[in-house]
Amino acid sequence: MTYHLTLFVIVIILAVIAVMAKNMLFSAIALALVSIGVSLILFTFGSPWAAVFELSVCAGLITVLFISAISLIQKEEKFLNESRIRFMLLPLALIIAAIASWIYIVPFFESLSKYPHLNIHNYPLGQIIWKNRVFDLIGQICILAAGVFAIKSIFPRPVRDTRAKDLLKGAEKVNNK
Amino acid sequence: MTISLLAYLLIPLFSAVLIQFVSRNKENLADIIGNITLFAGLLNISYLIFNPVNFKLSFSNIAQDGFTLLMIFMIYLVAFSVSLFSTGFLTKEKNRHHFHSLILVSVSAMCGIVTAGDFFTLYIFVEALAVASFALIAFDDNEKGIEAAIKYFLLTFPASIFILLGMAILLFTTSTFNFAGLQNIVAGGYLSSPIMSGVILILLGFLIKSGVFPFHTWVLDAYQGAYSPVSAFLAGTITKIAGVYAVIKIAMIFKFFDLKLYKISETLMFIGAASILFGAIAAMRQKDFKRMLAYSSISQIGYIIIACGLATPLAILGAIFHMFNHAAFKTVLFLNGASLEKSLNTTNMEKMGGLEHSMPWTSWSSVIALMSTAGIPPLSGFWSKLLIIVALWEGGAKGYSVTAIGAGIITLAYFMVMQRKVFFGKITDAAKKAEEMPALMLAPVMILCAVIIMSGILFPYCYNYLIETITRTIL
Amino acid sequence: MTNIFSLDWYFISLLFFIGLYCMLVSRNMLRQIIGLEIMSKSCLLAIILSGVATNNVNLAQAIAITMILIEVVVVAIGLSVLIKAYRITGSIDLWKLSKLKG
Repeated sequence: MTYHLTLFVIVIILAVIAVMAKNMLFSAIALALVSIGVSLILFTFGSPWAAVFELSVCAGLITVLFISAISLIQKEEKFLNESRIRFMLLPLALIIAAIASWIYIVPFFESLSKYPHLNIHNYPLGQIIWKNRVFDLIGQICILAAGVFAIKSIFPRPVRDTRAKDLLKGAEKVNNK
Repeated sequence: MTISLLAYLLIPLFSAVLIQFVSRNKENLADIIGNITLFAGLLNISYLIFNPVNFKLSFSNIAQDGFTLLMIFMIYLVAFSVSLFSTGFLTKEKNRHHFHSLILVSVSAMCGIVTAGDFFTLYIFVEALAVASFALIAFDDNEKGIEAAIKYFLLTFPASIFILLGMAILLFTTSTFNFAGLQNIVAGGYLSSPIMSGVILILLGFLIKSGVFPFHTWVLDAYQGAYSPVSAFLAGTITKIAGVYAVIKIAMIFKFFDLKLYKISETLMFIGAASILFGAIAAMRQKDFKRMLAYSSISQIGYIIIACGLATPLAILGAIFHMFNHAAFKTVLFLNGASLEKSLNTTNMEKMGGLEHSMPWTSWSSVIALMSTAGIPPLSGFWSKLLIIVALWEGGAKGYSVTAIGAGIITLAYFMVMQRKVFFGKITDAAKKAEEMPALMLAPVMILCAVIIMSGILFPYCYNYLIETITRTIL
Repeated sequence: MTNIFSLDWYFISLLFFIGLYCMLVSRNMLRQIIGLEIMSKSCLLAIILSGVATNNVNLAQAIAITMILIEVVVVAIGLSVLIKAYRITGSIDLWKLSKLKG
């Protein structure tokens, strides 16, 4: 159990680093490490499939997305002068939140831990996904379609004429130089 | 989720994918496919609901949930109107096939929400709808659309986190998300305070998504900044289905008033009354046409929330009927706003004036819609407000019912001011050049006006439909 | 003495707080999305923990897999509109978004 709790502490420290880091690239990598930590915690909970998805998708794919976005807007980082004081206050705020949470949240879940449970049949994962919750799959298709169309409409194909005009403008600039 | 209604979900999804492949270089084909799909769905669902045989059998032949059917009818009605309107509204250089496939996907997601029988299924479709509507808000390439989209993003997705936390507690305490299962738990009297804490978190998330008074900021920016037909679609159905529908559903399951959950009931009613008053008072001072309509929309959502807080059967009926009516009249007003924007190139009300001569159809249709909003007797808005006010009076919340009546008068006042400024009065320079919209863009407005008038005149039919099909599931 | 179940919830609440703090404080849109990610991680843990505690872990896993998919779509959409905002306005500062007022 100490392994389990140590992982939680590491995840929280990494999350604090991800929020406080000044460099966005560093922040994204810390987020990826948070994901890896979370997937290890999921594994200790005895839910290997969720852990695998978390590891491959959140730690892999989302980090790639973040890093590519950061590399596209890297110049901005130098101009965005956020005041660092509010981020430096995070550990202090976290300590206050930790004390408050110890007073309010722990007793609540302490009382919940003796909550009576119905006897549920724990079906195998495949049956739950493909039989009991088959409508979720339609929902997933729907959200994937929505995501694809959304990205396509946010970055539409440029109309051919304007592209030709842009090319001409670029050629003129080169000629002028 | 009911399998018999799955076609309303899958066919738009299929058409949306089809449009992407077929009409890549033929933009007119996208218009045709999108409109035909929505029109066919509208005809189909109208046949299910408005078949005269139903009335003779006192609706006993409708096996499905009446609430779901009414919502599907509303979704298809508004989506068809918006899609037909934007066929004329979109300019040449816009990517029509993206617009139509996003509209179709959001219709599909909304049908998923209203047919879901499970909190988690509902949540997935809510997210799908949020993604689609997010892209629709950002459809206009200018700064305003992007800003509105970012503000929408930064409030909607944190709200979903609250919903998920609530569902985690629900999973722990009841081991089920199923509406029927939860109804059994409520009926068996197993409701405990941990279950309610999960429900409160879910309720909080959906209240943020529906944009009531303390969480209203994104509504104003999204409605004002979005592409004009999209504002109509957002105000008419998207925010109602994504937020308010779930609030009504929770109120139907957990019956706050019967179960002596007075604190939740009181809080919801207070939020409702606050947003009614806030929306109505703030709308009086607006200069922008779309922003004023957004405030008015917040005020109308307040009526639905106040009825959900009471959650007696009559109040729920009033809430459902008001949601339907609100979809009709608010879409008319926003589409008229879009027409004004197209012909005058501005949404500032101070530059408009005397438009009744140049745009008579637009002018008189918005008179009908605003009279319905304010609750003038023969029109549909009067009946739904009457149901809510009577339910509040019977439920003992007399102060709130007086508030609702008072806010109705304020609504009438600000719409009269708007109508006098924009359509009557002196003709301004900008208004001289204005022209009436083509018939293609007037047709959807006329259809919706007909719906407003008919559902007001045929109120006994609507009332019977609501009583027979919806109370069956509530009680 | 507290048991392991409530300690898990305690850490989840702290993780949630960090994400919320990040979203409240920052005016950088990219950092807002990172805050959102941290919050949804805490939700994922909460769902799995509830599943484990009620001996219903497979249902919780099915839900968690769907949640991860939704998370990816949401992050992709958020980042794409961020890049578009950067191209149009030349900034990712939230405070510079003030065109819409009434």
